[in-house]
Amino acid sequence: MGKPRIHVGLEIGTTKTVMVVAEVKPDGSVKILGLGETSSAGVRKGEIVDYPQIRACVKAALLKAEDLSDVDISSVFLSVTGPHIEGLNNRGTYRLPEGEPEIRPRHVEEVKEIASDIAIPSEHVYLHSLIRHYAVDGQPHATMPTGLMGRKLDAEFHIVHGVRTRVQNSIKCAREIPLDVDDVVFAPIASAQVVLERKWKEAGALVLDIGGGTTDYVLYVDGAILASGCIPVGGDHVTNDIHLVTHLPLSKAEQVKKTEGCASGDPEKSEGIVTVPDEGGFPDVELKRQILNDVIRMRFQETLELVKERLPQDGLVRVGKGVFLTGGSSQMAGLGELAQDVFGLPVYKPESPEVSGVHAYIKDPQYSTALGLIRYAQILEEERPNSTAFSKASGFLRSLWPFGG
Amino acid sequence: MIPYERTRQQTIPNSAVKIIGVGGAGANMLDRIALDGMEGAELLACNTDVRTLTSSVAPEKIQLGRNLTRGLGSGGDPALGNQAAQEAELEIRDALRDRKIIFICVGLGGGTGSGAAPLIAQLARDEGAFTVVFATTPFNFEGARRREQAENALAELSTLANALITFDNTRMGELVLAKQGVHEAFSAADRMVSESIRAVTRIVMRPGLVNIGLDDLMAALSSPKSRCLFGSGIAHGENRAQQALKNALVSPLLDRGSLLNDTDTVLVHVCGGEDMTLYELELLMRGLSKHVPETAQILFGTSVDPAMAESLSVTLVSSLPEDRLRADFSKSASAKKAETFNDKDTGKSESSEEALPENVGSLAETTDPVSNGEVGVDNGSSAESGQDSSFVEQEVEHEEDKITVEASEDEAQFEVVEEESRSAAGSNVRIRVKELPKSEEQDRESLKIVPDEEPASISGEDLASAFVEAVPSLEETGQSLDLEDEDAFFAETGPAGGPAPIKVESLEEIQASAKAKRPQGELALDGGPKGKFEGEDPNLIEGEDLDIPPFLRKKK
Repeated sequence: MGKPRIHVGLEIGTTKTVMVVAEVKPDGSVKILGLGETSSAGVRKGEIVDYPQIRACVKAALLKAEDLSDVDISSVFLSVTGPHIEGLNNRGTYRLPEGEPEIRPRHVEEVKEIASDIAIPSEHVYLHSLIRHYAVDGQPHATMPTGLMGRKLDAEFHIVHGVRTRVQNSIKCAREIPLDVDDVVFAPIASAQVVLERKWKEAGALVLDIGGGTTDYVLYVDGAILASGCIPVGGDHVTNDIHLVTHLPLSKAEQVKKTEGCASGDPEKSEGIVTVPDEGGFPDVELKRQILNDVIRMRFQETLELVKERLPQDGLVRVGKGVFLTGGSSQMAGLGELAQDVFGLPVYKPESPEVSGVHAYIKDPQYSTALGLIRYAQILEEERPNSTAFSKASGFLRSLWPFGG
Repeated sequence: MIPYERTRQQTIPNSAVKIIGVGGAGANMLDRIALDGMEGAELLACNTDVRTLTSSVAPEKIQLGRNLTRGLGSGGDPALGNQAAQEAELEIRDALRDRKIIFICVGLGGGTGSGAAPLIAQLARDEGAFTVVFATTPFNFEGARRREQAENALAELSTLANALITFDNTRMGELVLAKQGVHEAFSAADRMVSESIRAVTRIVMRPGLVNIGLDDLMAALSSPKSRCLFGSGIAHGENRAQQALKNALVSPLLDRGSLLNDTDTVLVHVCGGEDMTLYELELLMRGLSKHVPETAQILFGTSVDPAMAESLSVTLVSSLPEDRLRADFSKSASAKKAETFNDKDTGKSESSEEALPENVGSLAETTDPVSNGEVGVDNGSSAESGQDSSFVEQEVEHEEDKITVEASEDEAQFEVVEEESRSAAGSNVRIRVKELPKSEEQDRESLKIVPDEEPASISGEDLASAFVEAVPSLEETGQSLDLEDEDAFFAETGPAGGPAPIKVESLEEIQASAKAKRPQGELALDGGPKGKFEGEDPNLIEGEDLDIPPFLRKKK
């Protein structure tokens, strides 16, 4: 990897469509060249519902990104999400043949195959099969066990799968722009690459990507993914809740949520009344802060509890670092306190960027998924030379990439 | 308790059922049935292979071809299997004598099963039994020869048996997850057969509120040269009605309900514990109506079985002419010989229509207070409760009248019954599906058992006869308010005067218990506005629609 490489990440989100162009330098540093963003239309809860509309959005984001970065974009890393996507763990065991005590790459391939061979519903497709651990004769090894002597090789995989047709919708959308899709990545896995440092993954951390339409989570324990998934509830629901309870129009509800709402449950913050000014000359609407905050808090509390329920039993106990909030809705005031109440762990909330300009993006939780795609691409790139032959690398890619060339 | 005979319809004592396992696969199915516990039915294993025969848990065993194969198997040769069975013909005949229903479980493709089963089916029919054959066809990988043997045997069986239910072993993979062991796959297939047998016996032997007898079963299977579709599901807990239906529909024998789309007649039997509600039945039938064509005749039956406790079972039986089966299903055919009941039933239904308005009072009583009063109508079961004892002979006569109503519903005279009962009662019955006349019966019954939140309104719409309306009004106004009216009502109707007071008491009791059991009104799934998510599929997680603000949900 001598030359700098340019990677493009595309996130088709419920609220916005973001395309990030970045240059990965030979030393591994990432420079963002440009970022194209449009507000999405035709996406509900992370899934495409209106195809022509979202295609126009992607096109617009592409043009902006190309303009800003001065790069001809031909292929992208695409993030997908949606409640149909599930992560699960599987273990494969391979007994080494007689007379071959040393573990060789082909044995590792074999055990990988066994571990990924898991019954998923027939209409589902594999998105990722990520190695969690190897074990040789029952002894765990985090790294590649080739060269070790042993009798039995175990591999634990985290497998992410989703409904084929829904994943294909996103891909088709990019293909018709036309853009090649380098890889499809489950959104929280991409976000985690930006949010978490390597040592935090080792220590154990939960990443919550609370977006507009979905709340995606990924749990890292001992440097590997233990659980991942998506709950189809996001910031839009909060706005909608405010709209339904207070009968404010949606645009006002959104504004009130952002400027006045607080999820902390702190009684001090729930004193008094919010006045919503009316530009049209009609009387202002008054709203009890208590109600507003209750609506917001109950929604987020329910969502976080749903995440908590879905995590494996011992998952949270093994989290050494804490809970990382990201995604646009994580900017909600008081959400950190609420998350702390729910999970009982230290909560890291992204600070809002102080500086503007291209470099601000890297800190902005709204863009963590799109930026994470770049990191994901970089990691994939780094892993690639490890394989003995190029054909193997493409074979590995193909296993992630079940949609044909 | 005053015992009285009810012999109008066929009553089938438990001992009249015999289940025969033929060949190795049949023995396995039989073992599964025995292990799952099949009360009352006799089990008989027939095999050429002495080794498997002795290991079978069936209490009765017949060795086929004692001299011919000398205790060995038939080596995959149906001719040999057939000869072996002929050798034991007398023995088999003795074993089958005087049985009302005979189930033959057989795995086709091999020697003993393919060769002996048709002969045994023939003997069973000769002895006058209703013969149901459960046959499995070989795996694809077993090769063309075995498949051919299986198909020949199927062709024979389809003309011999009253009902032929086949299961293709190739589809066994659908029963279990891919990673489950092979023994689990086989035992799942055996379990399916065992559950099917149990369901069929439940249909024909259990007394029903709305009874289904052998005649209905035969009507459902009536089309000649047809394959039997069969699905049975059981579920408990919340949503059990939908879940049971879903379970029934996913049966591989129904191909997930899609095969029902073409059928003409469907027999539906719902069996539940004492807390089964009318509302559940409504839901269930509504769910089913999506899977069957509107023109299909639905033979509806239901029964309350305290042994079911909290669970609810749904059994679907239907048949599909072979030519309508898709190519990959057309492995088998079965000819169903439906005897025609039309003549006598038409007569009966007419008479019962006339009788209906007059008998209203007594009918109301027989049906009203005691769910079991009617339960026993067809089968003379032992399920009568204490209140039954007070029934006087006169009433039995009225009950007989009612039986004719039921009997009339057995056949294709549905429209007639419906039309007439509508005009007779002068109320508007919505005709959605043809099971309505029966569900009326059902309605009345379940009203007594556990009035759900809705039965009042439902019954208002659906019930045709005047006498039922008295009951909903009771439901609406509370326990005792209308009791005087009820008394008067009973008094008017001469023959029923005697036992009336007891009825009232029991009414009170039942209503009180129903009140106690009645759940609080639950939040409908799409309760309330959903704002910008309006019109989307409910975003359901753990039974809660996430599109509705938690603030509104939790407050209630």
